Amino acid sequence: MKNIVKVVRDEIAAGNVGCKTDCPYNPCHFSGQNCTFCYCPYYPCNDERLGKFVEGRRGQKIWSCEDCLLIHRDFFVEHTVSKIKELGLEAGDPRFLTEVFPEAVEKFWHRGKAVMVVGATSDAGKSITVAAIGRILKRMGYLCAPFKSQNMSLNSRVTSDGAEIAMVQVLQAQAMGLKNADAHMNPILLKPMGNTRSQVVVEGKPFADYEVGGYYDEFVPGPGKEIVKRNVDFLLNHYDYVIMEGAGSPAEINIYDKDIANMRAAEIADADVILVVNVEWGGAFAYAVGTVELMPEEDRRRIKGIILNNVRGDVNLMRPGADRMEEILGIPVIGIIPHLDVRLPSEDSEMFRGRSSVGNGPVHVAVVKLPRIANFTDLDPLYSDDTTVVFAESPEDILDADAIVIPGTKNTIGDLQWMKDVGIYDALRQMKGKVPIVGICGGYQMMGKLLSDPQGIENGIPGDYEGLGFFDNTSTWSSYTKRVVRDRAVIIDGGGEVEGYEIHMGMSDVKETPLFRMTSFGREKETEGSVRKDEMLYGTYLHGVFDRPAFRDLFFSLVSRKDRGTAPEMSVEDYNDVVDRNLDLLADGFEKGLDMDAFKKIFGVKE
Amino acid sequence: MRSVLFLGTASGAGKTTLAALYCRYLRKKGVDVVPYKTSNLSLNSYVTEDGKEIGMGQAFQAWASGIEPTGDMNPVLLKPSGNGRMQIVVRGEPFIDIVRGQEYDREKIKELGYGSFDRLVSEHETVVCEGSGSPVELNLMDTDLANVGLMRARKVPSVLVADIERGGVFAAVYGTWKLLPDDVRGLLKGFIINRFRGDASLLDSGIARIEELTGLKCIGIIPYETLKFPEEDSMSSKKGSIGDGNLHEEFVKNLDRLLELAEEGGVDFSKIEKIVDSSA
Repeated sequence: MKNIVKVVRDEIAAGNVGCKTDCPYNPCHFSGQNCTFCYCPYYPCNDERLGKFVEGRRGQKIWSCEDCLLIHRDFFVEHTVSKIKELGLEAGDPRFLTEVFPEAVEKFWHRGKAVMVVGATSDAGKSITVAAIGRILKRMGYLCAPFKSQNMSLNSRVTSDGAEIAMVQVLQAQAMGLKNADAHMNPILLKPMGNTRSQVVVEGKPFADYEVGGYYDEFVPGPGKEIVKRNVDFLLNHYDYVIMEGAGSPAEINIYDKDIANMRAAEIADADVILVVNVEWGGAFAYAVGTVELMPEEDRRRIKGIILNNVRGDVNLMRPGADRMEEILGIPVIGIIPHLDVRLPSEDSEMFRGRSSVGNGPVHVAVVKLPRIANFTDLDPLYSDDTTVVFAESPEDILDADAIVIPGTKNTIGDLQWMKDVGIYDALRQMKGKVPIVGICGGYQMMGKLLSDPQGIENGIPGDYEGLGFFDNTSTWSSYTKRVVRDRAVIIDGGGEVEGYEIHMGMSDVKETPLFRMTSFGREKETEGSVRKDEMLYGTYLHGVFDRPAFRDLFFSLVSRKDRGTAPEMSVEDYNDVVDRNLDLLADGFEKGLDMDAFKKIFGVKE
Repeated sequence: MRSVLFLGTASGAGKTTLAALYCRYLRKKGVDVVPYKTSNLSLNSYVTEDGKEIGMGQAFQAWASGIEPTGDMNPVLLKPSGNGRMQIVVRGEPFIDIVRGQEYDREKIKELGYGSFDRLVSEHETVVCEGSGSPVELNLMDTDLANVGLMRARKVPSVLVADIERGGVFAAVYGTWKLLPDDVRGLLKGFIINRFRGDASLLDSGIARIEELTGLKCIGIIPYETLKFPEEDSMSSKKGSIGDGNLHEEFVKNLDRLLELAEEGGVDFSKIEKIVDSSA
C-alpha cells in the first residue's frame, strides 16, 4: 500500500499524461488508453463492478483491480485530475474514497449495452459483422468487447492468462482495440473430437467431453446458462458495448429452448439483435422472414435491424426487395453490404472446403491436409503473391513441393496413421533434406521417432506408434492434461523474435538442438522446438510461428526454387499489422453499406 | 396435364439433382417423363443432337429420364458475356444480344417459353420442372419466369427443396412459403430436406411445427452424400447423345445410387406422385 501511495504521488505530480505510447507495456488494456494512473489513487475501491477480491499467497483476501478499465478512460482521468486540483488532494488522502470516488463512479460508470448479431445460416457473416461493428464503434471512441457464449471450433487461441478461447473472439477483440482477449468473451468452446463428441472448454479450461445429446440435455440446462450469465455480466460491467455473436441459425425450432448460443443468450444479456443474411446463395429474403417469424413474439421484438451481407454486383438492385421486406416484417434493413475482399483469418475451414490450393505464386508450399487439422490459421501468413499453398492429400503433392508444412491436429496419432495409409508418410521421408520441412504442434510430434499413448488418450487405442523419425524425440500421452500457454521466444541460431501459443495434449522428450529460446518473463532458461539445420528440418509447438516475419523469412530463405522463377519476396510485414489494416478496410466497407443513422439509433450512439 | 415444379430455398439447394432424381424414379416405373426449366442463367450449356443450346442441368435430367435432350427442355437460356452484355437463347437458338438496361420483347420470350412447356405436356406423360434460384427474391419476383411465373401461368403444383447443410432450414422453408404471392402459395404442396447428416429424428419436432404452420407436407430427408456427379464444365464443350460417352452413364449410375439411399432413408416419392395428380 505504501508503494502505491508513493507511485500515485508521482502520478499526481505529472498531471494528465494521456496515452504513454513509449511505455513497453502500452497498450496494456486497450489502444488509446489513458495511462495517467498506472497505479490507482482510489485503491482499494472494493467496488465489485470494477474489480474483484483474489486470494493472496497466505490465503488472505486481496483487492485486485487488474480488470478495471474505467481508470484508463480519458473522461474519468480528466474528472479525477480536476478533483485533485479542486480539493488539493494528495496521494493517500481518504477523501479519494469517501468523497471523490462515489461521485465519480455514480457519474461515469454505466452498465454497457449488449447488441447481438445473429445469422440466418452458418457462414452468414456474423463474425466479421461483429468485428466490423466493433471497429466502427472503437473509431467513434467507444470501448467494446466481443462475446460468443458457445463456439464450436478447432481454431482456438491462448489468452495472456492461459485460457483457451475461439480464435474469432480474439480477432474481434483486436478489431475493438483490446490488447488482451479473455475467457469471458467465449466462455464455452466446443472442440469436436469426432462426428458427435466434443471437448467442452469452459472459461478457458477443459471441463469435460460430451456427446451431442448429453450436451443439450445435461450441460446446457445445468451449468450452461449460469456460465453465459456470469461472463456476459462481467463484460457489461466493464465495456460500453458488448457485441455478441450467435451461432448457426437462431430459428432452429427443433432445439429452440436448448439453444444458449442465440436468443436465450440475448435474453440473458437483454440484448437488441441484428440479423445478418448472406445474399450470395439466394433466398435471402425467405431466410430473413422465416428466421424472424419462427421466433416467439418476445424474442422477435429484440430484432432491431437486418443486414443483407455479401452482395456481389450492384447493391442498389437489392433495395426494392429490402423495402418490401421492411413492410412485411416492420424491421428496417439497416445495411446492404457488398462482397468485401479482406484478408482476415478464417473461422471455418472454408479454405479447405473443395479447394486444393490457394494462390498462384512460384513457390509451392505443401501443407499436409490432415483430416483433423487444427489451428489452420497458422497458415494464413503463408498466402502471398509469391506462393501457391497446396493442401496436400496425395504423395504427389508432397513430392512436387518446394517447402512442406505439417500442421497441427486434434488427433495426432489418428492423423499419423492416415498419412501412412495414403502414402504421404513415405513421401515426406523421401523429401527429407531436399526441401525445408516444418512441423507445428501435432505435426512436430509426428516428426519424432516415437509417439507413445499407453492409455489411448489421443486416439482411443493404447499403443506405440512410429513417427517420421526426423528427430530423435519421443512424445508421450501419459495423462489427460493439456498444456495451454502463450510464448515469446527468439530463434537461437540467427536471432529474430517469434510469438505464439501452445495448445497440446502429449509432451515431448526432446533430444535435438532446440530451435527457440524463450523470452517470456520468468522462462528465460527454457528452450523450445527442434532443428536439424543441415537437413532443413524444423519442429515447434508454437502456433502462430509464421505470424512474425523472423521465422517466415528463415523458412523461405531455405527454398531452392527449382525452375519456378525468382526468390520469394515474402512480405516483411507483421501478420498482426496485415490483419489490423484489413480490419479497417472491413469497417470502411460496412460503414459505406450501413445506414449509419439507423445503426447509431440501435446502439444509442450520440454524436 | 401432369407436372410438378421443384423449387429451391436458395441457389445450390439441390433442385437440379432432386428433379433428376424424381425423373429417374418415374423412368424406372416406366413413366414417359420429361424435364423442363423455363429459364436458366448459365454459361454451362449443352448442345443437343439437333444443334440446340440448353442448360446442362436439363441435359442431365433428360438422360435420367432416358431420353435425348431437346431445345424445349430449357427454352430460355441467359448467357452473360461480361461488361453487362448478355445473350438470350430461346428454344436453343440465339434470340437477341442485349446490354444492361436494354428493353427487349419479354412477352414474346415468355410465350415461347411456356409454349415449350405446353408442347412437352402434350407429348409426354409427366413434365418435371425445375425452378431457378429462390422463388421469392422480392426484388426479382415480378419478372420471374421459372418460378412464380410458371406457377401462375400454368398452375403447376410445386415441391420446395431445402438445403440443411448451412442451417436455418426451417426458416428457409417457412419464409419461402410465406413470401409466395397469395395466388400461387396454394400450389406449393410439400418440402424436401436435402443434405442431412446425423440422426434425422432430431428434426421431427421442427418438421411437425412447419407442417402445422404452413400445411405443407414433408416428403422426406435426403442424406448428405458426396456422390460425384460429372462436373458441368467437363461436359460443356462436348456434344453427345446417350451411349456415346460414359460421363452421363456415370451420372445416371450415381443417381440410381442416390435414389436407393433416399428410399432407404425413408423418402416417399409416391407423395410427389400424389402432388402431380393434383395437377391433372
